[in-house]
This record gives sequence, structure tokens and C-alpha cells, in this order.
Amino acid sequence: MTPAPLLDLMPALPEFLLLLAGLLFLVIGVLREGDGVRLIGPLSALSLVIAAAIILASDKTAADTFGGHFRMDAFAAFLKVLIYVGVAAAILVSQNFLEDERIARFEFPLLALFGALGMGMMVSANSFLALYMSLELQSLSVYVLAAGHRDTLRSTEAGLKYFILGSLASGLLLYGISLVYGFTGTVMFDQIGSLLRDENASLSSGALVGLVFIAAGICFKLGVVPFHMWTPDVYEGAPTPVGAYIASAPKLAAMGLLLRVLIDPFGAWVGQWQQIIVFVAIASMLLGAFAAIMQTNFKRLMAYSGIANIGYALVGLAAGTRDGVDGVLVFMAIYMVMTLGTFACILAMRRQGSYVEDINELAGLSRRQPILALILTILMFSLAGIPPTAGFFGKFYVFKAAIDANLTWLAVIGLLSSVVACYYYLRIVKLVWFDQAAEPFDLPLRPAIGAVAGISAILLIVAVLAINPLFASAGIAASAIFH
Amino acid sequence: MTIELALFYLLSAVTVGCAVMVIASRNPVHSVLFLILAFFNSAGLFLLLGAEFLAMILVVVYVGAVAVLFLFVVMMLDVNFRRLREGARLYWPIGALVGVILLAELILVTGGWAFAGGFETAAPIPSDPSITNTEALGRVIYTDYVYLFQTAGVILLVAIIGAIMLTLRPRGTLRRQDIAEQVHRRPQDTVELRKVDTGAGV
Amino acid sequence: MLYTILVFAPLVGALIAGLFGRMIGDRASQVVTCGFMALSAACAIASFFLNIYGEPFKVVLFDWIVVGSFDTQWALRIDGLSASMMLVVSFISFLIHVYSVGYMAEDASIPRFMSYLSLFTFAMLMLVTSDNLIQLFFGWEGVGVASYLLIGFWYDRASACAAAMKAFIVNRVGDFGLILGIAACYLVFDSVQYDVIFANAASFADSTIVVFGYEFNTLTIIGVLLFIGAMGKSAQLGLHTWLPDAMEGPTPVSALIHAATMVTAGVFLVARFSPLYEYAPTALAMVAFIGASTAFFAATIGMVQNDIKRVIAYSTCSQLGYMFFACGVSAYSAGVFHLFTHAFFKALLFLGAGSVIHAMHHEQDMRKMGGIWNKIPITYAMMWIGSLALMGIPFFAGYYSKDAILEAAWASHAPFARYAFWLGIGAAFLTAFYSGRLLWLTFHGTPRADHHTMEHVHESPMVMLVPLFCLAGGALFAGWLAQGMIAPDAAWWSGAIFMRGEPNILEELHHVPTLVRFAPLIVGVAGFGLSLVLYLLVPSVPGRIAAALRPVYLFLLNKWYFDELYDRIFVQPAKAVGSVFWRGGDGLVIDGFGPDGVAAATGRLARQTARLQTGYVYHYAFAMLIGVAALVTWYLFFVR
Repeated sequence: MTPAPLLDLMPALPEFLLLLAGLLFLVIGVLREGDGVRLIGPLSALSLVIAAAIILASDKTAADTFGGHFRMDAFAAFLKVLIYVGVAAAILVSQNFLEDERIARFEFPLLALFGALGMGMMVSANSFLALYMSLELQSLSVYVLAAGHRDTLRSTEAGLKYFILGSLASGLLLYGISLVYGFTGTVMFDQIGSLLRDENASLSSGALVGLVFIAAGICFKLGVVPFHMWTPDVYEGAPTPVGAYIASAPKLAAMGLLLRVLIDPFGAWVGQWQQIIVFVAIASMLLGAFAAIMQTNFKRLMAYSGIANIGYALVGLAAGTRDGVDGVLVFMAIYMVMTLGTFACILAMRRQGSYVEDINELAGLSRRQPILALILTILMFSLAGIPPTAGFFGKFYVFKAAIDANLTWLAVIGLLSSVVACYYYLRIVKLVWFDQAAEPFDLPLRPAIGAVAGISAILLIVAVLAINPLFASAGIAASAIFH
Repeated sequence: MTIELALFYLLSAVTVGCAVMVIASRNPVHSVLFLILAFFNSAGLFLLLGAEFLAMILVVVYVGAVAVLFLFVVMMLDVNFRRLREGARLYWPIGALVGVILLAELILVTGGWAFAGGFETAAPIPSDPSITNTEALGRVIYTDYVYLFQTAGVILLVAIIGAIMLTLRPRGTLRRQDIAEQVHRRPQDTVELRKVDTGAGV
Repeated sequence: MLYTILVFAPLVGALIAGLFGRMIGDRASQVVTCGFMALSAACAIASFFLNIYGEPFKVVLFDWIVVGSFDTQWALRIDGLSASMMLVVSFISFLIHVYSVGYMAEDASIPRFMSYLSLFTFAMLMLVTSDNLIQLFFGWEGVGVASYLLIGFWYDRASACAAAMKAFIVNRVGDFGLILGIAACYLVFDSVQYDVIFANAASFADSTIVVFGYEFNTLTIIGVLLFIGAMGKSAQLGLHTWLPDAMEGPTPVSALIHAATMVTAGVFLVARFSPLYEYAPTALAMVAFIGASTAFFAATIGMVQNDIKRVIAYSTCSQLGYMFFACGVSAYSAGVFHLFTHAFFKALLFLGAGSVIHAMHHEQDMRKMGGIWNKIPITYAMMWIGSLALMGIPFFAGYYSKDAILEAAWASHAPFARYAFWLGIGAAFLTAFYSGRLLWLTFHGTPRADHHTMEHVHESPMVMLVPLFCLAGGALFAGWLAQGMIAPDAAWWSGAIFMRGEPNILEELHHVPTLVRFAPLIVGVAGFGLSLVLYLLVPSVPGRIAAALRPVYLFLLNKWYFDELYDRIFVQPAKAVGSVFWRGGDGLVIDGFGPDGVAAATGRLARQTARLQTGYVYHYAFAMLIGVAALVTWYLFFVR
């Protein structure tokens, strides 16, 4: 590959757009006191959608810039489109909530926008330094957002916990990076990759331990066991739309980061890192499945559900094959749609002006709001992985990849845990359709919330028809990081 | 050589000792002071390596700004650390165990490197003695690493936004300076001349 | 087309009444089902006259199962046998549909009843027109299901549900034999098509098959297995216990299913497989033995029963025995002939009994009847016709067929033929006796019902009486009209029934001694006369006889203790074994370690994992650090 140009801005055009938009909105927000959020929210969402559109329209061949720290390829493009659209959706559903809770500050959409910028940079990171910087950019905005409901104890506690544990994870990550740097002499992915692929290279335990630390740092962001402890508290404590935001796009970005790091520089060490991934995948699937059973808070339940789901995704990564990565990408795309839709439904749980989060409040929803009940049912079926919803295909591809890679037992554990997980998804369906009706939720449904929930439910159903194109484009994306 | 070695071990030992004391000391103010000492010793280590710019930056930024800020915060908050510590006593054995295990492993790793060494690493960029540390950093930070530099800037911006968002409360009583208003004020709008009879009062 | 309509019209009626019955209402359901049945019956009559003495042919509908050499079609096999059966099934079913309109008028779920009846008819038609064993099995199980549904029609009665289950379960025993028989056919002939089996039966006459280490004649095994199936369906001795209980169903059901049609499926099966049975003399001997034993055994029980429907039910059982031993002595034609005539007069008897029950406000105990002959004269007359036909009084339908059977039994040289003859004569005597007893107890003597009931005794409406007239016509003339069935050339059947032996049994039965020819009539009159004496002239005698021969009386009253015996031998041990497996095997082992245990363990695990989430940051940080330390340790010391 020719040396990367220092300042070719074209590959990073979407990110530049987001940065400039962020700076502009910051000025606008400061000048327009009070009602800034009404303007900046939609504008941020719009700029994210434009960025996604630019990526879709642009050339998908791999291009490096900024001295090789930044890479734009099909893999990054696939994830960025999803991330930007996901963040845009999260911003849109947040508007009403923020106003209802009297915390409508323009910084919310702005920080989400900067977070999206960080995520975009994460999936484009092509060196450990770029990885670390982009991860911090994304993390910092999420820490602040989680504490955004600053007058409530739960929210500030969530933000603080996330921040402290996140700092610890960053420390682990940096330590790992320094070990890898020390043992390989470089932080660039390409160079590490070619060093490790060298036939004569022996297995360096230093770099290996560094890899363990790096994986642990990224796993924290993904919220997989045993680095998952923050998720339930943060999901529950953070304002609900922030929960939607944390649960969706950052997971994709962190997963993209993990995939790129493990496949690109450390691709030659599949046999080694496979074991980490298998371990955390099993632990996550089982803990996510079992711990969620006891939850009655919908957001906590979604936290454990998210842990389990990332576990399923890692099953595909554990395969270490192109098909496995392909499956992970498809799974994550579907996961994001399911999560956003479900959180939109949680945001619709509003009674006499105040938001409720207990799943028992959903009792008998079908009698009062049949359409919302239907949407929630589709989402739950999809999360449970029941065909013909998209959730089934997501699990199908990752488990199939694992089986093809002779990890049948791992797939079996995954299937068993998803059977356990069915319990709490179907319990919600049961509550919605068969239980005595509780009081109805406030009507009408907010347009943005209804749209996000409805569109996600429709997507999960029509995915049956479009699963092959999705799988194919994910396949192109996956090919981009294999050498 | 021997002096350098002796200095290295001295500084390292003090750094590690300070780090331990940061955690171990009962008085939080002492902890922060030990932290400052640890920073100083680290700066000394950088000097030994010939990285004088980093050494100075460490002193200026970490000691001069960060640690002192910590000190103020700790002193102002008046947190009862003793009570916080009570719970921790339960955990120190397992904490120590994990720490010892990790330490042993890391020693093993670095030791393994020292002994095995058969691993081909990328060639380090040779240091050019003709230019100063500061100049060398300046040459790459705006060129090769401009991406990272700018990212750091964005991170700081986000940090500022976050800090303001989480702490700034617009209060009605707050008086703010409006420079434009000040500039546009004319004497005739604000100053009125009155003729007051002597001895009559207002 | 004619045949397709014939078979499928009842199905259409059943579907309409069954699926849309609530929507279209009672009256429309009745009209629809009766209408389609009328269509089917008209086709059946046409087909009857077209196909007896005609050429056999097949109406192929479509392929069913094609797997390797296993090739099965849906096809209607039309020949003299199936045409005769279709006539019986469709025509009587139509009459009973009409009768049901009146009989079930006050029932709450008329559409369901009519739908089941039509469904049954469809399944029965499928059975008799089957062209291969699989299709036969479809019809066979279809009528079984319909029978189950109809016996348990009044599902809010515990006894009806129990009877329905009993019928189904006892039939499963027979079906087990049938399935094995079908499998054996496929094993031996590599086909389930009748054509192939019958064409090749002769070549396997002397072949043997090893079962459980013993060598058996192949055709005997197949014959016996198929006959076990027939025994279940036709309530032959051993598997007969369900039939009397099946009287829990509404009376039209008893008439249609448990007298005229379904229970004769076994006879039909044996007759249909005559080309095979002719080469399996051992199996035939078994058929003759079981048939004759049943004929006598059921008749003895019929003598002492008090429930009017049970008397007729045991009578049915007994008459089925006649049909079987006719087949057993190779006189298949005579057996089917009796089936044909019996269908009319037994349906008549049942419907007449239904009319009586209707008149008596659902009272079925003959001890509480009596003295009503002048209140319901038409029903009374009909019962007389049916009973005389059953007794075999000359020129009634039963006379022709029953005499033919007994003559064939005398003339035959098959094993058990003489045994069958004598038991048949005995049964004929008993038949006449219990028929007479039924008539006298029900219609004559002093009224034993309470005053209220007696005042309301009334003749049934025309919608119930017209079918009775039609059946009475059958009971009077069917025997005379269908004498061609037992013509020695068997041309009626257009090749469906095959008989070895020159001259064949139908030829020989015309050359029996005169005494044999008149023996049934003599014993019939004697039996009838005895009943006249005991129950009308000196009604105190039966009680004294019963007292004097108390053990015998109880033995008969309790149906030879078959139910108790089965309960002791099969039901209780099965229950005990089931209980062991249920409590111990399923409850403790499978549920304990399986669903319940897993669920409980899941719950415990869930609580414990949820407890991991303490909310303390330092716990979380510890978890992370321990995780990292564990992973690093794993890599340093265990992965190489």
C-alpha cells in the first residue's frame, strides 16, 4: 500500500461534516438560550443522516489518510451508516422526554453528535492511538449524557459510576496498548499485522498480555461479562433516551473496534484471542439470560438483554472466519434496530405525564393500545429470536458461523441461553396480551417515538425479504478487514 | 553509567513508594501530596531518558495544575475518608491477591522478553541529537499526528461542554456583564444633571 | 364424477355444517347435511344398479404417497362389493340424517351432530371404496374418530366420555393388528394395492415368515393380523366390550354406526380380502371360531339385559358373529348378504327403539316400560317388522341371509364349520327369545312407567317415522331382492369375492338336508314362543328362573364378567405401571430434572446472578480486575 497521505480530507468527509456541524450548533445553542434543543435536536439528526448519505454515496474502496491513522473502507462505511442513523433516531426520540423532564438543554443533542463523531472515528481507527483517542471522545460524551439528569441522584450516580469504571477500563486499554507498543515497536495496525503474520515470529507473551488488556478495555465498552457491571445501573439511572443511545450505536462502534483490532492486526493470532472471546461470550450469554429473569425494571431488563445479545454476537466473532464477522455485522445491525425500537416503546410508557419503567405497567396494553402492543410484541419476538422476525436471522448467522468453525458446543450454549432468555421476552408478551389491563398510557403517542418504534418493528418483519442483501453487504464489509 | 543507574533506581523506588502511599495514607491531603511527589519523580525518570520536554510538561501540567486542583478539591470537600475506608478493609486481601498475581505475571512477561527476545519488532525512529526535544515533537504533532492532536482538542471541547452542562445553573440573581450594552451606553441615557439648591436638600 | 360426488358430498356437508354451523343456524345445517346426503344416496342407488353384475373399475383421484416402490393413490375401487356397501352406507345414512332432524330437535348443538354424522359417512364411504390398504386405513381411522366423537357427543356426561374413550382404546388394540397386517402386506407383496396383493396371494400360499423365532405361514399371519383389526372394529369376542357402552351415544348414532355400517367394516375387510383368506385356511378357521363364539356369547347376554338399546347392541354383536363365521366357512357372499339385510332391520330396530325412548322421555330401561303398544302403534308395528326380520321368520330379510349362513356352515368342510353351525342354531334360538322378550317387555303387559310419563307417551313426528317406513321396506324386501348375492356364480360381486373349491360353498349350500334348512325357523319359533310364555302369559316365571339359577343369571347379566376381567388384567396393571412411570418416572425424574427442575434451577440461578449486582463501584471494579487477572493467568500458564 502506498504511504497514506497526510491530509486527504475526502475519506473523512462525513466526520468533518459532523465536527463542523457540532461546532456550529454549539455556537447556535449558546446564542439561543432556552429553546436551543428544539432547533439543535433535529438539526443534529439531519446532519447525521446527511453524513450517512454521504457515506452511502461515496466510493467504498479502502482509503487511508492522516498518516494512516484513519481508514475508510467498506467495513467502516457499513458500521458508520448504521451508527449515524441510530444516533439520529436516538436524538429524535429524546426530544419529548427532555422537555417533559424539564432538562431540555441543547447540550444533549450536541454531545450525542460529538459522541457519534467519536464512534465514526472508532470504526475508522487504524492505529492504537487513534483507537484510544476516538474511544475517549465517545466515552466522555456518554459519561456526561448519562449524568445528564443532574438533579436526580440516580442519573448522577449512573454517570459517575460509568465514568470511574470507564476510566479504569481506559487504563487497562492504555496499559495493553503500551505493552503491545513495547513488544512490537509500533502502534499502527498494518505494521503490527504484518509483523505478526511473519512466519518466523514466535508468540510473544508480552504482546499477548497486551492483547488481553486491550480486549478487556474494549469489552468494557461492549458491556460483556465480567466487564458488564456498569450496564444495568447506567441503563436504569441514565435518562431513558440516553439509555437508548448508550445501548445502540456505541455497541456497534465498540464491536467494530473489536472486530478490526482482532481481525486486522491480530488476525494471525486467532487461536489465541478466540479463547478470550469464547469465554466472555459464554459468560455474557449465560449471565444476560439468567440475571434478566429477575428484573422488573424494563431498562434493567434491556441491559441484561443487551449483555446476552453482545454475547451472541461474540459467538460469531469467536468463529474467527469471514462468515463469522459477516454474521456479527448482520446481528449488530438487527440488534441496534431492536434496541432502539424497544427503548422507543419504553419512552411511550408514560402515565399522567410521568414516565414509568416497570414491566408490570404493560399489563393489558393490548386492550388499550393494540398497535403499540403489536409493535412491542414484534420487538420481543425478535429479541427472543423467533422466526420470521429479523432477530432469528441474526442469531442464525452467528450460530451457523460458529458451527461451521467447529464450535458447535458454543452454539449449543448460545441456543440454550436464548431459550432461557425467551422467558423474559415472552413474559412481556404475556403481560401485554393476557393480563388484566392496567391504566392506559398517555395518548396520543409522540410522533417521533411512534415513528421509531413502528419503523423498527416494520424493519424487523420485512427483514425476512431483505436479509440476503443485508448479509451480502455485511459480507463485503467483513471482507474489508481480512487480509 | 553507574550514577545514572543509581539515579534510576532511586527515582523508581521513590515513585513506587509514593504510589503506595497515595493509597495507603490516612489523610487525603497527604495522599495528594504523595501523588505530587510521584509526579516529580516520574519527571526525573523522563529526564534520565533525555525527554526533557515531557518532564517539564509533567511538572507544569500535572503538578502545577491537576494535582493542586485535586488538593483544593480534597480540602474543600471535607470527605470523611476514614469512614469510606472501613468497608475497604474487608476487601484488601482479595485486592492484594489480584494485585500480586498481576504483578507477578507482568514481571514474568517483561522477564520473558528480556530472556527470549526473539521477536522481531518494528524499527524505532532514530532520535536526532541535532534538534531539541521540543522541536522534534513540534515537527510531528502538527503533521504526522495532526489527527490525534485535533481529536484531543475535540475531546477537551466535549469535556468543557460536559462540565458546563453538569454544573452551570442559570440563577436569576446572577449579574452578568453585557459588553455590548456597556459599550453602547451613552452618557445622556444614564447621567442626568440636576441643579440642586444649596442647603435645600434633594 | 358420479362416484366422486357419492363419496365427497357428505364431506362437503360435514364441512359446511361443522365450520359454519353456528353461522348458518340449526335448520340450515340440517338442510345442508341432509341435502348432500340425499345427493350421495341418489348416486349410491344409481351406482348400485350400474355396478352389480358389472365390470370392476377404478376412479383415480390423485397420487397420495409416492416413495420409492411405495406408491399409493387416492382411488375409488368400484365393483359389486363396494357398490353394495355404498348403497347400504349412503342410503341408511341418509335416512338417519332425516331421522336425526326429529330425534335431535331439542339438542343444543345440532350442527355439530349433523356434521359428525356426515363426516362419519364420508369416512365410511372412503373405507368401502378404498383401493389400497392405506386408503382403507384412512377410512378405518376416520370412522373410528367419528364414532368417538359421536359416542361422546353428550360430552357433559361422564359415562358418555368414558364410553367414547373405551371405544377408541379398544379399537386401538384392533388397529394395532390392522397396522401390522398392512405392514406385513407391504413386506410380503411390496405393495399395498389390492390388485397386487390379490394377484400374488396364491403364489405365497405356501411361503413362510419368521416371527419371533417361529416360522409361520405368511398368509396366515397376514390374515390373522387383519382379522384382529376386524375384530376390534366389529366388536368380536374379546374386543367386543366397547360396543354395548357405545350406546351412550344418541340413538341415531347407534343405528348408523354401531349397527348398520361401521361395525360391519370388519366383515367387509374379510370379504374384501377373500382372495387372500382363501389361501389362508388357518386364519379362516380362526374367523369361523371367533365369529361363531361371538354369535352365541352375545346372544346369551342379550337374553338378560334390561336396557332396550343394550339388548339390540348385543344382538348386533351376535349378528356380526354370524357374518364372520359365514366368511370363516368361505361363504363371504352369505356374510355380506347378511350384512346387507341386517343393516336395514337393525337400523330399523334401533330407530324404533329410539322412537320408543323418545316417546318415554328418554327412558331406556325395559322394566319401566310396558303397555304402550296402543299409544305408539306405528312404532310398535315397525318394531315387529324389525324383530321378525331379525329372528329370521320366512320372507323377512333376515330369513334369506341367516338361513344361507347356517346352511353354508352345515355344508362346509372347513374346520369349526360344524361348531359354527350348532352355535349358530343356538344363537338363533336365543335371538328369537330376546327379540320376543324385548317386544313383550316394551309394549305389552302392565304399564310400569310412572303415571306422568304414561300420560305423555306419544307417537314420534313424521320426520322420524318416514325413515322407519323406508327401513321397514328394506327389512321386508331387501332379502328377497338381493338374493342374487348368494348365487353360486357370484356374478353380483363382479369378481370382488373369490371362492376356491368346486363346486363352491354357495353351490353346496343348496344341497343341505331339509331339516337343516328348517332348523333356524324351528328354533326361532320355539324361542319366540318361549318368550311369549315367560314374559306375556306367565310373567312371574322369569324372576323365579333367575332366582333359581342365580349364578348363571348374574354371569349373563354381568356380560360374562368381561369388563371386570379386562379391568383386572389390563386396566389396573396398566394404571399401576402408568402410575409408577407418571409419579416416579415423569414426575420425579423427567419433571424433576427436566422442565420443573431446570425451571427451578434457572430461577435460583437468576436470583443469584441478580444478586451479583450490588451497586457498589468498587465491587464492579474488582470484578473487572479479577476478570483481567484471570484471563492473563489463563494465557500465561495454560495456553501454549
